[in-house]
Amino acid sequence: MHDTTWFEINGKPSVFIASTEFTDAAEAQAVALGFPEVRRIFVPHPIQDATDDEMRAKADAIVDLVIEALVD
Amino acid sequence: MPLPSFSLATADGSLHHFPTGRHALLCFVKEDCPTCVLSMPLIQAAAEAFGESIDIWCIGQDAEGNARLAATFALAAPMLDDSSLHVSYRYDLDTVPTIILADAIGDELDRFIGFGRSDWQALFQRLITVTLSPAPVIDWSRYPESRPGCGSKSVEPGIAERLEAEMEGSPIRARRIDVGESDDIFEFMFEQGLTDGLPVVPPTPERVVRMLTGTKRDPQEVVGIVPPNLAPVTVEKIAINAVMAGCKPEYLPVVLAAIEAITTEQFNMHGVLATTLFPTPVIIVNGPIRDRIGMNYRMNVLGQGNRANATIGRAVQLVVRNVGGGRPGEVDRAALGQPGKYTFCFPEFEERSNWESLHVERGFERTDSTVTVYAGGAPNGIIDQLSRGAESLATSYGLALATSGHPKQYGHGEIVVVIPPEHVDTFAKDGWTKDQVRARIQEVTARPARELIRDEFCAEGITLQQAERIGLDTLVPKFRDPKNITFVVAGGEAGKFAAYLGGWVSGPMGSQMTTVKIRE
Repeated sequence: MHDTTWFEINGKPSVFIASTEFTDAAEAQAVALGFPEVRRIFVPHPIQDATDDEMRAKADAIVDLVIEALVD
Repeated sequence: MPLPSFSLATADGSLHHFPTGRHALLCFVKEDCPTCVLSMPLIQAAAEAFGESIDIWCIGQDAEGNARLAATFALAAPMLDDSSLHVSYRYDLDTVPTIILADAIGDELDRFIGFGRSDWQALFQRLITVTLSPAPVIDWSRYPESRPGCGSKSVEPGIAERLEAEMEGSPIRARRIDVGESDDIFEFMFEQGLTDGLPVVPPTPERVVRMLTGTKRDPQEVVGIVPPNLAPVTVEKIAINAVMAGCKPEYLPVVLAAIEAITTEQFNMHGVLATTLFPTPVIIVNGPIRDRIGMNYRMNVLGQGNRANATIGRAVQLVVRNVGGGRPGEVDRAALGQPGKYTFCFPEFEERSNWESLHVERGFERTDSTVTVYAGGAPNGIIDQLSRGAESLATSYGLALATSGHPKQYGHGEIVVVIPPEHVDTFAKDGWTKDQVRARIQEVTARPARELIRDEFCAEGITLQQAERIGLDTLVPKFRDPKNITFVVAGGEAGKFAAYLGGWVSGPMGSQMTTVKIRE
C-alpha cells in the first residue's frame, strides 16, 4: 500500500492487489496514509498453497479489473 | 538580569503586577511552615512602616492557608495567591520564607531565606534609607537569632515535574487529552485503543517529565520512523509510551536504542508486524546497563516478574501500536501471534559464559551497553538433561533445531538459541567454541535434498526441480549460514534446558538482527 500510494503521488497509475484476507489491512493502511481511495483489487484467499493453474485462474478473473483501474 | 515579571491576584481577585515601578518586597510563605509564621509579624511591621512608599507583598503557596495566615495576622500587606506555584517555580525557590527586595524595574537588591534576625534588621535599615520612613518599633529580643526555613511547595516530589511540564519551555509538545473527572482514567485509555489489552499507566505531564530525566537527549529529537504509518517518533513520544508501559526513567535509554534498532531498514519492522507468521522484536540487552537498571538474566529470564525486562519490551510494543499505528486486525496480520507480542526483552548472563558475549561478537566493546533486536518467535524448549559432553549436547541442539518451522523447511535464516548455565558448562568442559556448536548443528541437521522434496506423504518441502538443481544426494544443512545461529547465555543455575526462538524470513528481503549502542 505504501508503494501504491508512492506511485500515485509520482503520477504513475497504480493498483494494489492482495488476497481477500488483507482487505482490513489495506483499508487501515490506506486511511493512515491519507489515501483512502487507493485503487485495490482482491483475489480469493488463499494463495500460499495455490497451484500454478489456480493462480492463473485468480489472475484471469481480475485482469480486466486491473486494466480498468489503471486506465480509468 | 531582572527578576521574572508576574501577575498574581489576592483572594478577592485584585491583580498585582510585578515589577511595580517602585521598590517591592516579595515575601514567599506557606502557612504550614513555622518559620514563615515566625516571620509574619515582621512582614506586617514592614507593611505598616514602609507600605506607603514601597510595595510589600506576601506571596502564599496554598490558597486556604493564605487566607488563614492573612486573618491570623490581620495582614496589612496584600496576600497574593501563588497556589499554582508558577511564580515560586520561576523564582527557583527551594525554601520558604524567601524574602526578596527588588527595585522599581525588578532588579534584585537583596534576598534571604529562612529566618535570620540580623537579615531582617539589615533589611529594615535598608528600607528606612530607601523610604526615609521612621524605624518601626520591634522587640527584637522576642525573635531567635535564626531558624531554618521549610521546603517550598514548588519542590515537593511530583510537583516540580508538574510545574516543569506546565511552564513555558516545557519539554512536552504532545497534544493533551482531557479526561472527564467522572471518567475512570484506566477505562478511558482502554476505550481510546491506547493499550495492548492490559492496563497502562496514565502518561500525565509530570510522569512524562520525570521519564525524560532518564536521558540527556532532546525531547524533540526524532529517533526513528515507525511503521506501518511511517510516523516520526520523538524522544518525548517514546517517553510517553514508556510511562504507559510502566518503565522507570533509567530504562528509557534502552527503550530509545531499541526503537532506533527496530526502525532501521534492515530490521524491517513493517514486515515483522504485517506478516501472518509469529515474529516480534525480541530485545536482547548487553553490557553494564543490565545491572544498573536491575534486569534479570538469571532464573525465569524469559518469564514474568522483573520490571525492567517486562516494561522495556512493552514500551517498544506500545510505540509501534500508538505511534506507528500497528494494531492487530489491521496491519498486524499475525494468524496466531504469540505472548512475546506483549513484551519480549531479556539480558544476557555475560558473566556466566566463557564465550564472548553477543555484543562483543557483534563488534562492540564489553563495556558498551547495547540492544540487539531480532525478529523472533516464542521460546521452544530443548531438553537435554543427560549429555555429559559438548558433542552430544550440540547434537541434541541440531536434532531440535531441525524441526524449527517445519522439519522439511531448509535454507533457514536466523535463529536464536538461549543457552542455560548448565549447558554452557558442558560446552566449556570440552572447550567447545560457539563455531564448533554451530558446525555440529549444521552437520546433524543436514539431509540429502531428495528427502526434502514435496510428496504425497507431506506436501511441504522443496520442488523436485529445486532438489535436482541442488543435487538429489547433496546434503543440505538447516541453516543457510552457520553465522545465522546466534547463542545467548541466560537463565537459572539448575535446569539443563535451552530454548530456541524461531526466526522469520531473514536476509535483505526479511529482517536482519540489528545491534545498537545505548546512549546513556
